[in-house]
Amino acid sequence: MRRYTVVPARRLGFLVRKEILVLPSRTLVGVFSLGLILLPWFSNDPYLLRVVILSSIFAIYAASWDLLAGYSGQVSFGHALFFGVGGYGSALLNYHLGWTPWLTIVIGAGVAMVAGFLVGIPCLRLRGSYLSLATLAFPLILTGLLFTIPELSGGELGISGIRPLVRSRVGYYYIAVGAMLAVCFALWKIGNSNTGLILHAIREDEVAVRASGINTVRYRLLAFSLSALGAGFAGALFAHFIRVIGPSTLEVALSFQAVIWGIFGGVASIYGPVAGVFVLYPLTEAMSLVRELSEYRLLIFAIVVLLVLLFMPEGVAPWVRDKLEIRCPRCKVRNVVTRATCHICEAPLR
Amino acid sequence: MLQDILVTGLVNGGVYALLAIGFSLIFGVARIVNIAHTGFYMVSAYLLYTLLNLARLNFFLSFLLAVAAVTLLSVICYKLVIEPVRQHEAAVLIATIALGLIFQESLLRIFGGHFRGNPAILEGAVEIAGVSVSYQQLLTLAVVAVVLIATWLLLHHTRLGLAIRATANDLEVANLMGMNVHRVAMLTVAISAMLAAVAGAVVAPLIVVDPFMWLSPLITVLAVVVLGGLGSIKGSMIGAFIIGYAEVLTVFLVPTGAFLKGAVSLSIMVIVLLLRPEGLFGVAFEEER
Amino acid sequence: MKLKMLVGVVMLALGLAMAAEAQQAIKIAILGPMSFVQGENHWAGAEMARDEINKAGGINVGGKRMQVELVRGDTNEIQSVPDATNAIERVITRDKVDFLIGGFRSEAVLAMQEVAMDYKKIFLGAGAAHSKLGLNVEQNYDRYKYWFRATPVKDTDLVRSLFAVLGSIGQQIRTDLKTEAPKVAILAEKAVWTEALVGAAQKNLPAMKMEVVGTWQPSAVATDVTAELSAIERSGADIVFTMLSGPVGIVVGRQMGERKMKAVAWGINVEAQKDEFWQAAAAKAQFVSTLDTFAEVEITPKTVPFVRAFKARYGKSPTYNAATYDAIMILKAAIEQAGTTDADKLVPVLEKIEHVGTGASQSWDKRHDLVWAVGKTAGIAVQWQDGKKVPFWPPQVKGMQPFKMPQR
Repeated sequence: MRRYTVVPARRLGFLVRKEILVLPSRTLVGVFSLGLILLPWFSNDPYLLRVVILSSIFAIYAASWDLLAGYSGQVSFGHALFFGVGGYGSALLNYHLGWTPWLTIVIGAGVAMVAGFLVGIPCLRLRGSYLSLATLAFPLILTGLLFTIPELSGGELGISGIRPLVRSRVGYYYIAVGAMLAVCFALWKIGNSNTGLILHAIREDEVAVRASGINTVRYRLLAFSLSALGAGFAGALFAHFIRVIGPSTLEVALSFQAVIWGIFGGVASIYGPVAGVFVLYPLTEAMSLVRELSEYRLLIFAIVVLLVLLFMPEGVAPWVRDKLEIRCPRCKVRNVVTRATCHICEAPLR
Repeated sequence: MLQDILVTGLVNGGVYALLAIGFSLIFGVARIVNIAHTGFYMVSAYLLYTLLNLARLNFFLSFLLAVAAVTLLSVICYKLVIEPVRQHEAAVLIATIALGLIFQESLLRIFGGHFRGNPAILEGAVEIAGVSVSYQQLLTLAVVAVVLIATWLLLHHTRLGLAIRATANDLEVANLMGMNVHRVAMLTVAISAMLAAVAGAVVAPLIVVDPFMWLSPLITVLAVVVLGGLGSIKGSMIGAFIIGYAEVLTVFLVPTGAFLKGAVSLSIMVIVLLLRPEGLFGVAFEEER
Repeated sequence: MKLKMLVGVVMLALGLAMAAEAQQAIKIAILGPMSFVQGENHWAGAEMARDEINKAGGINVGGKRMQVELVRGDTNEIQSVPDATNAIERVITRDKVDFLIGGFRSEAVLAMQEVAMDYKKIFLGAGAAHSKLGLNVEQNYDRYKYWFRATPVKDTDLVRSLFAVLGSIGQQIRTDLKTEAPKVAILAEKAVWTEALVGAAQKNLPAMKMEVVGTWQPSAVATDVTAELSAIERSGADIVFTMLSGPVGIVVGRQMGERKMKAVAWGINVEAQKDEFWQAAAAKAQFVSTLDTFAEVEITPKTVPFVRAFKARYGKSPTYNAATYDAIMILKAAIEQAGTTDADKLVPVLEKIEHVGTGASQSWDKRHDLVWAVGKTAGIAVQWQDGKKVPFWPPQVKGMQPFKMPQR
């Protein structure tokens, strides 16, 4: 467990120094966040901003998958369900009732959370590959249902003509990036809290957790609901950015994307999947800028994923972290790799 | 109508069974959820197409070459991609997804997004109980029977079969008993891919060959094996026919809801899982632990 | 390391974009799924138009001759909708194109339409049939007026063509089989675009003295229709009225042939419009017929030369997406008439244009949808006979051949 010192708000500098700059991985995250916030000062190229906005939205989606799959070990193959439900929920309310997107996005995410809870119930009885493969079914069943009510769902066209959250690209950029940073920080906090610890334990040995008097049912459902909340929020943001929500958001391909981003970045870390998205998504887009590569980009994407995994089977982010930091053998706190002794307990690191 | 349902369901179930057996085998032995399984099936269909139409070989030779090539490909993939990350479960998972994508995109680049048709091995159709069934569909049923018997003989009457079953039962003990579990896993991958390749050659003439043809059977196969119980070959067989009949019933009873047949079979899978979390014939979890 | 590479690529791209800033040509983006037949035809039709215009000296913009430059925008829309919106924004902001042409999958085109309208760029649709695209123009003219549909006619007009042909096929069956009311099985993929068609068919067919024996709605991507077809066979249908845009059209054609069904297939079967259809259906799809756009018949004086030139250059016949050719020609006519490439000045000119194209004679209504008329935009009907796509409707057009029925 990491240690947290309670710091008065006025000493922000102290906080930055002691909590962020102390570890290279946190410094990286800080620099990354700051970079995102400052980016529009250097370029307001709408295309560049669009790619970052979409990356941010998908980062929320991938990070929410991580809470469910990485922490609690319920590897969902149908995460697109929550993305789609959030998007459709928000779009339907906005389009048919004319409510403001600011409200419908929240409701859409809430609907997704309910969906997560409902899907979580049958999944309580399942484990491992059975759970993965069963979850794969849910978005496809929903797609079938949507096609039976085209008056409401728009069938294969989906719903178009939904209102954007804000008109200006930079405005949307700050909403998406801000939401991404906030949601991911919250998810990371949950992951490092007692709840996160219990989820870790459930993944490793559920029977043992139950034997310790913990209601694992409650925690597994909690993981499902929270994760669905995040994914639904991402889906709703996506719908109001693209301004169309259709059955393509429920496709197997999008469910698999979450798995790929998550595992590529490194599971059970939250920042791993975020890194996964921010490496892979812009990389794929950058390839489409080069005419010769553009039609090969998915092939290259798959090969890159495969090759990187061979060298970093734990994912990119943990690999980078382990190169930069070393764990104190005595108090388990992480230290800069250059230090000889632990910065907390002063035990020799090697 | 009843005879239509009975015959058509049997034929459809046979196709699914052929694909599901191989998938089930590899999971049962190596605990690999091989998302690329139907990818091998697709590659085989394309190889057959190429050999028949571009290289103009005869059918028998094309069939043998396609199956051999896919089997070899599977071993190469296993050695290069899966084995180095075997101990990382998550990595294996996306490695197989990535493999499926690589197959899809490579074929898309080589052949384009065109739809292609493979010729039937046997032309024509026959009426069974007043229902028209093509010879190709009957052939599929026959191949399913042969594959099933061959797999059973292999598993129960050869030393390799014994090793496969032992590994499937308890990998660590099998290892301690001096079996080369890596070799067993590799051989199982080869056998499983070979089954997929046979399926590709036999089933492809019933459907359309295109670079995305691996996705839809993948879903059906997953539903079948989960329904029947992961790793159980008997379960896969029965699951295949349940799904086959469920789809046909949907089409016949609700013709305007024919598009729902996939959703219906997936819902059946979910319901079965609610009642029996390990599928119909799966290994109970407590034993797996 | 990776980050550095990425930054490098982005910088490079930025540089390229800046270098291209100083332009002397009219830039037209061709948007389509370039790995698929639709995109191939989008691009091929556009290439033919570009080469023809540039060889003749370019487009006369108020006295100044400008060449046409095409920008290839791979939308990948069949696989991913966000990819399509990224692509259209990329060609607008990076490649700085003046006009947009293309699109295929309705869900993606609706999303692309939004982006194009944000930038007030003229967008000529060349693939999606859904009414909603045109309805947007009517409901919010100021925002959506830059959208025009160059091909096909909107879905509800497709119905009119379908019924016109169905009537004449029904008549043929009546005389051939001496039945009073031919039996029709409706086989429509489950999709919004077929919704109105199915309803209209169920309502109108009895009035046309035809009996509807049932409606089957498989998924657009179904790989097997054995169950549907055996049910249709059981119903004793004479005509299978198809409304299929997805690969399921190939499966229907092939499996009908394999079962030696007595019914004949007529309707929309987008896959059957392609030359590859016969091979894809393993030479089994005898007598499958569909609505189509191009054939070597004189719909307009330009049709036959265009189809021949296309075949000579690309080795196969054009599909309806190749009407990007017409779209560029219409743009050229409008630009030369207006003397400018300014979008706001071009819209009123485009609205009034009467163009004689290659597969149709185009003019637009208040939704910026093509005005439907037989012999102008209603298209043609073709039937597969022994590996050849044979046109048989409308009868007044020169070069039509007889429609055939399967053996009984």
